[in-house]
Amino acid sequence: MLQCTINGKELEVKPGTTIIEAMKLIAHEDIAHYCWHPGLPVAGVCRLCVVEIEGNPRLQIACNTQITDGMKITNQSEKVKEAVKWGLDFHLINHPLDCPICDQAGECELQNQYMKFGKYDSEMAEPKVKKHKVVDLGPRVVLDSERCILCSRCVRFTDEVTKTHELGIFNRGDRSEIGTFNGRPLDNKYSLNTVDICPVGALTSKDFRFRQRVWFLKEHQTICTGCSTGCNVKVSYNKEGLFRVKPVYNEQVNGYWMCDEGRDVYKYVNKPARLLDAWMTTAGRGEWLHPLTAAKKVGEFLRAPENKGKSVALVLTGQHTLEEYEALISFFKNEVGTDRIFHWVNNPESMNDFDGLLIRGDKNPNTKGLLETLERHGIKTEWKELIDGLSTGAIRTVVVAGPENQAVYPDFKAKVLELSKAQKLVWLTACKNEELERLQGDVTLIPLKTYIEKDGTFVNYAGLRQTVKKGLTVVANAMSLVEVAEAFKGVDVRPEEAPFKVGVGRVNNEATLQRGSL
Amino acid sequence: MSLVQRPKPISKWYLPGILSGLGLTFAKMMKNLFIYVKSGKHTVTYNYPEEKYEYSPRYKGNHVLTVKKDGSLRCTACMLCATNCPAECIKIVAAEHEDPSVEKYPISYEIDILRCVFCGFCEEACPVDAIRMGPEWQTPGLNGSQFVYDIKQLAYRPQLKGGIVSVVDEEERHRAGI
Ligand code: SF4
Ligand code: SF4
Ligand code: SF4
Ligand code: SF4
Ligand code: FES
Repeated sequence: MLQCTINGKELEVKPGTTIIEAMKLIAHEDIAHYCWHPGLPVAGVCRLCVVEIEGNPRLQIACNTQITDGMKITNQSEKVKEAVKWGLDFHLINHPLDCPICDQAGECELQNQYMKFGKYDSEMAEPKVKKHKVVDLGPRVVLDSERCILCSRCVRFTDEVTKTHELGIFNRGDRSEIGTFNGRPLDNKYSLNTVDICPVGALTSKDFRFRQRVWFLKEHQTICTGCSTGCNVKVSYNKEGLFRVKPVYNEQVNGYWMCDEGRDVYKYVNKPARLLDAWMTTAGRGEWLHPLTAAKKVGEFLRAPENKGKSVALVLTGQHTLEEYEALISFFKNEVGTDRIFHWVNNPESMNDFDGLLIRGDKNPNTKGLLETLERHGIKTEWKELIDGLSTGAIRTVVVAGPENQAVYPDFKAKVLELSKAQKLVWLTACKNEELERLQGDVTLIPLKTYIEKDGTFVNYAGLRQTVKKGLTVVANAMSLVEVAEAFKGVDVRPEEAPFKVGVGRVNNEATLQRGSL
Repeated sequence: MSLVQRPKPISKWYLPGILSGLGLTFAKMMKNLFIYVKSGKHTVTYNYPEEKYEYSPRYKGNHVLTVKKDGSLRCTACMLCATNCPAECIKIVAAEHEDPSVEKYPISYEIDILRCVFCGFCEEACPVDAIRMGPEWQTPGLNGSQFVYDIKQLAYRPQLKGGIVSVVDEEERHRAGI
């Protein structure tokens, strides 16, 4: 262990620690920087992270200097402040200051660091160098080279993390620009991470572009349900719904990154994709019902002595939480008296695939949790038994807790057709689907909550338990499987709380609240 | 329902107030009748609605969205006005413009004028002089929907005679190298 002093604070660090790591990650001091990123190799190109080291006449960059024993470091001297300030001016020489149309505004490091360390009046009188705007880099990312400060984070990301090497810096001096090599777009499964790590608005996401200003959005931390890796993410939302997903650092699971597929997961949560009320057909006539009413009716049916028992089957997917599996399975075992509980596997062939970084072939967040729960209840079934039971008439009622994310269920249509052979089909689903709406006969659809609307636990591929917390309500009437199980038992589950918390006020409009405080 | 508890008036002192108010009205009436009318000068009161008062151009009345020299909207859809608006009555939907030098523009810009408090904060927030408060103040309408002003109304209503040109010109700025 090495002793050092940072801004007067005594610290002990491991040999090999750089000054910026000690400052940011251990001492939690403020330090200006652009090019350093904890998940990428050091480049040392922005020269903003300068610090003063006692006994060294020149300022050193903190990201590329390792701490030695007894080092005394400060970044609060006048000398450092001046250096950072005018370093920032150099970064902004050719910067277009597009903030009104720039998607990054509000979470831009240029804006933040100018307010923290800059606050100078620019002394540049020369015309700005104009570069390319709105460059289409690939299917998901747009580049504005004028805004780029050439920190090379994006280049290092494609070189070191994805190892796809699509991006490079072209030309020299103030004509330098980020670009792709001829005919090879930025098209890899992790490309949107470059947008996250770009400290300015040079790289923007096509999906999110211009849809909202970031200060109108609130954030909620949760787990990505796109595959069994279970990356830690945060979603940005406001009262119109969810708008984007970004990764959150978790060393055990995803590090700093997430895949592009996971960024689309939010789409099925938004209202247009969702089933809003329960649909129940009885004797050829369908009607919309409150989900609680519908669930209680189904529960009555299931608990009736003539329908109980082995003629009822339950189908589960790996897309729900542990608590929900437990509640539903106990209900079916104890109150309905059936152990015909089946696991719907969406893609058996590619279930164990892994791309070496994050993406796994199992596109369910909680397959492991489902298998654990089934095992604990001593349930062992084969899908074939269900099909046989349906064709022989041994299984008459099927309750399906369908997948939330139907896009990763290529066999959805086929399975709906298979299961529609049941005399009574109850399909619990978060999203609507035309296959389901087309079904004839005795069909009940009950809307479910998505992962963002409920509390629960997911078990990822490695057996790691991660909890999600309720962030917002999108469909007020939707129920979680725990609530459905309660309603099946005939309990009046607590009605949904008010979607907007009383007394929180207009937190979405920070800028207005803080007027005059700058 | 909330009941307002007014302080108990000291009842006998309301007379002087009323009398002085009446006195003022009466004095104006006399002035109108005998001095202004006789001398042909304009009276203090107006024969509304035949006669209308012209407010100064700086009056903060109905909003105007300014246009560029080519007649397209100046607004860049930055939503700073919507952020600053205390009544939260501005709703903007932004879209990608085909011209990369414009990049972003509003495909829909709506002000719910019945919720607007005419504070002028939107005008103050706008970085490109795209929204101004105009001198018009008479805005009748037959139903609620006519009070949600859209781009057509805000930028191209007939009173504006083709639109008001913004003082901020992107092309000039580009030529100057900014
Ligand atoms: S990158 Fe930052 S400073 Fe530059 S235009 Fe965008 S928001 Fe403004
Ligand atoms: S595009 Fe962004 S991340 Fe890449 S070099 Fe420029 S500023 Fe850095
Ligand atoms: S005048 Fe005030 S209340 Fe009206 S739109 Fe502008 S900011 Fe909003
Ligand atoms: S009117 Fe001005 S402030 Fe409002 S969105 Fe348009 S450019 Fe921005
Ligand atoms: S962060 Fe150290 S030089 Fe950029």
